[in-house]
Amino acid sequence: MRLANRPDGFGPVTRLLHWGMAAGILGMLAFGLTLVRMRMSLATVWLFGLHKSIGITLLALALLRLLWHRVSPPPGPLGGVPAAQLALARWTHRALYLLMLAVPLSGWAGSAATGIDVVVFNTLTLPPIVPPSEAGAKALLTLHHWLTWALMGLLALHVAGALKRSVLARDGTLSRMVLGRR
Amino acid sequence: MRLIAALTILICGLGTLPAAATSATARHYALQTEASLVGYETDFGPDKITGTMPVTQADLTLDFHTLANCHVAVTLDASKATASFPFAAQALRGPLVLDAADHPQITFVSTAIHPTDTGAIIDGDLTIRGVTQPFTLVATLYRQHGTATDDLTHLEIHLTGIVHRSAFGATGWAEMVGDDVRLNIVARVAQTGA
Repeated sequence: MRLANRPDGFGPVTRLLHWGMAAGILGMLAFGLTLVRMRMSLATVWLFGLHKSIGITLLALALLRLLWHRVSPPPGPLGGVPAAQLALARWTHRALYLLMLAVPLSGWAGSAATGIDVVVFNTLTLPPIVPPSEAGAKALLTLHHWLTWALMGLLALHVAGALKRSVLARDGTLSRMVLGRR
Repeated sequence: MRLIAALTILICGLGTLPAAATSATARHYALQTEASLVGYETDFGPDKITGTMPVTQADLTLDFHTLANCHVAVTLDASKATASFPFAAQALRGPLVLDAADHPQITFVSTAIHPTDTGAIIDGDLTIRGVTQPFTLVATLYRQHGTATDDLTHLEIHLTGIVHRSAFGATGWAEMVGDDVRLNIVARVAQTGA
């Protein structure tokens, strides 16, 4: 099986990373929104550790995905799309990648600023990336909150664009990411 | 466990000090650090977080005849505060609560002591995070286990009080952790000098 991307289609590695991260990010968004509304107790405090662990995993996958794109560049967009839409899609993708890095990094930094370790799946304790600071903790956790909302907005735009291309234009953009071909 | 052990000793019938056993002379006492415990408890949702803080320095002068001569000064090491689970200990010592990196000491200095039937009410100044607020401890005095009825050289002092942490700027995790921190201190002291 050819793992790499082709000029006209996405390979299985790219598709696996795309859909795996999509599931992980959507799950984390729901998890995070639930977590901030949940009444914490000794029975539920471990959920914060799980949230951090999944977040760091998604950060690692985002870095892996960027690395993979250097190794195996993804195919360009399909033709027949207005230039303005192409530009919007290109900037949405760039912003999504930026936020896939910035959201977990801001969470990691916010946790470090509170003086609380990020321990990945109770195994690996990550080093603090900022020093403990009350002002830093409040600023970084607020930043994490708003970056998450920005990510949700961009994901909605990304999904809307994909559905428009798939349902209205029927140009094969979505099937290329699902099946690897048009 | 040490707190439980200390309370067990109390329950086992040591009793409070008899009024007749008091002395007119002010006595200086040193804290028996290893046998003493500064414990705290606070609410965490429906549960409790408990922990301890080590005492780094204690200066106690007790005059059982004239309470106005009594003086208590205690320093705790905030940077070594413990809690019942690791995240809580880190959160406690972190910048949103005790800010132990910038304020490693918690101090209490008495300003007035008022007698009660079983001990005393100790008014003083409590400093946390560099913020000083008036604070009151309720003290009950006991003889230590194995000492004679009139032996005041070794005492056990049980102190309780409630710290409203937000008054000291320790406002972190307020949506999860209660504002009231209940102190439960067992201080064992030994007389020093003549």
